[in-house]
Amino acid sequence: MLIGSVSALINMLANGLASKNPFLQSAYVVVYAICIMVLISIFAYFFGWIERKVIAKAQYRHGPTYVGKFGIFQNLADLVKLIAKQKMVPGNADRVPFILAPIFLVSLTIFMLFLLPFSSSLQATNMGLGMLIIFVLIGFTPLLLFVAAYSSGNKYADVSAQRSVLMLLSYELPMVISIAAVFLLAKTYSISGIINAQSHLWFIALMPIGFVVFFIAMLAELERPPFDLREADSELIAGWLTDISAPYYALSLFLDYSRMFLGSLLIAIIFLGGWEGPALSGIIWLVGKAFIIALATILIRATTVRMRIDRILRFGWVWLMPLSLINLILAYLIMR
Amino acid sequence: MPLTRINIGPVHPSTHGVCRLVVDLDGDTVVKVEPHCGFLHRGVEKLVENRMFMQCPPYMEKLDYVAPMSVDELYVSTVEKALGVEVKEPAAYARLILLELQRLASHLFWFGATCNDLGQMFTGFMWGFRDRDIVLKLLEEATGQRMFYVNMRLGGLVRELPPDFAEHALSTMEYLEKRIPAYRNLVEKNPIFNERMKGVGKLSRSDAIDLGVAGPVLRASGVPYDVRKDVPYYAYSALNFRAKSASEGDNFARYMVRMMEMQESIRLVKEALRKMPEGSAMGMPIKLIIPKAKNRIAMVSRENPRGEEMMYLVADPEKAYRLSIRAPTFINLAALNRMAEGCRMADLFAIFSTLDLVMADVDR
Repeated sequence: MLIGSVSALINMLANGLASKNPFLQSAYVVVYAICIMVLISIFAYFFGWIERKVIAKAQYRHGPTYVGKFGIFQNLADLVKLIAKQKMVPGNADRVPFILAPIFLVSLTIFMLFLLPFSSSLQATNMGLGMLIIFVLIGFTPLLLFVAAYSSGNKYADVSAQRSVLMLLSYELPMVISIAAVFLLAKTYSISGIINAQSHLWFIALMPIGFVVFFIAMLAELERPPFDLREADSELIAGWLTDISAPYYALSLFLDYSRMFLGSLLIAIIFLGGWEGPALSGIIWLVGKAFIIALATILIRATTVRMRIDRILRFGWVWLMPLSLINLILAYLIMR
Repeated sequence: MPLTRINIGPVHPSTHGVCRLVVDLDGDTVVKVEPHCGFLHRGVEKLVENRMFMQCPPYMEKLDYVAPMSVDELYVSTVEKALGVEVKEPAAYARLILLELQRLASHLFWFGATCNDLGQMFTGFMWGFRDRDIVLKLLEEATGQRMFYVNMRLGGLVRELPPDFAEHALSTMEYLEKRIPAYRNLVEKNPIFNERMKGVGKLSRSDAIDLGVAGPVLRASGVPYDVRKDVPYYAYSALNFRAKSASEGDNFARYMVRMMEMQESIRLVKEALRKMPEGSAMGMPIKLIIPKAKNRIAMVSRENPRGEEMMYLVADPEKAYRLSIRAPTFINLAALNRMAEGCRMADLFAIFSTLDLVMADVDR
């Protein structure tokens, strides 16, 4: 029943988005945006829960068990607790950017997810430069994080802000170069074009080096361990979140998970063939692939220790940068 | 660039208690670390002066709450020395076994805490604590308590080791023998762990001697001084014991020394269980008014998990006139500035955790 109604909804949306009538189409774009928001929330919720469970398993614990079956409602309970708490802005903080930066970050992330297509027919827009726009927007995230950290007036957050800039220097360039190789092979900047180019062979098979570089750069971009330097809990208490009050903290958790969704979707789209797959509908394949990547990051989180900031810079320029250049050259040779 | 002065602690996730560090940073580089202690000062040395000898072990145990048995034993043997009480051989073996088990529990605790401070998401922490609990279970069987045992009496223990203790201890040791390679697998093959540990927080041999650091910190700097070997007490001289040391003096050397010590402790416990003579390990029943002290001054030193701990007791015949404790952690904390000079902010906590501090022992 549920699956039937969901697929009916997907079909209706797809037809509506493809409609010729501009009014009808824009109405459907709004509906689509709401659906994407729901999808992000569902992913964020379950990813949060599964992360807790998997990490608990790695540590011989049970994880949440009390609220609901297998603790499935634990995150909801936590959310209610966080939202119910008092909102405060520290005296040292620069009020306006401090309050606005997390909100901007969340909206930016949701906007990027809104630009992604979820299946061949389920997309708000099919821009020729889609992927390029996504990577331009991703570049803003560390800057906004810098603003959020620097405006809080806390010294730990200051250190976190400095780190945020150094991180930007170390991984952004290899990431963009490995994407350039993808553009070279797909011969297009559009997201659907990149997925269609993989209908015979996924890009992970053509560019294994590129995949590794992009995956590592994405981990750094998403602040997943071992690159979680901005909120290194054992050093900076919580980095840029140190002085943030509970409702904003809930927002930042949501931000983390939705960025996770964005990152794993991007990896799935660029290297794992996007919505390509037999039998099931495209959106299930895409979200399923994204989920497997997210699981891999959870396992990485459970085992590695944190990297040091100067080593990340070194790692980025000594390893990731040459590897991404080699990947670019190989992609050029394959293309010819 | 102007220096940034950051106050870390006394409440901070990785200061292991209530240590406060005032750190001067030049960008991300540590220029100077100034540890401030005293937040956990209870005046134990003064409390002892108003109590009978055998009222004090419970206070002593709270000094080093990660390895309470070792401080308890140190205090009781200081009193024994003042009173001239001999420890019988079965009791000496039983104490040695309990002390080594305590060392295992303490080092497992340290392993977990260090993984956490390096930024691992609690995995090493939970692994270490899980196995520490198995060792604590063993100590509970022997003493009736998980944490604060108060198990030492003059001349022996409060109670005999239970009849099936040897069997349980052997099976636990076999289990731990398999576990320790698993820990080393978890972290040593990780390139980031090696990068964070090797060559960081160096303490040279001469600095280590000048600063008077003790225990694994000293041995990791290439000074193979171990009280168990150099001034053997109990049955250490009868057992095949080798002091573990390393020469690099960095974080990784301190890690390796503790890992090797755990393996050595496992071996020691097994050997001691095999060689343990028959007989009663019971000490004198608890008597608050005990024979008058024969020696006015008694000083005993022991190799505790955190290093060489010393107690200096001046006996007013029936109670302590003055007790002075040389805590290894206090002296190791003083070496922090030397080790952390010029390191990165992130490494400060790695160095801090390899010192294995217990603030209660620092502040006394």
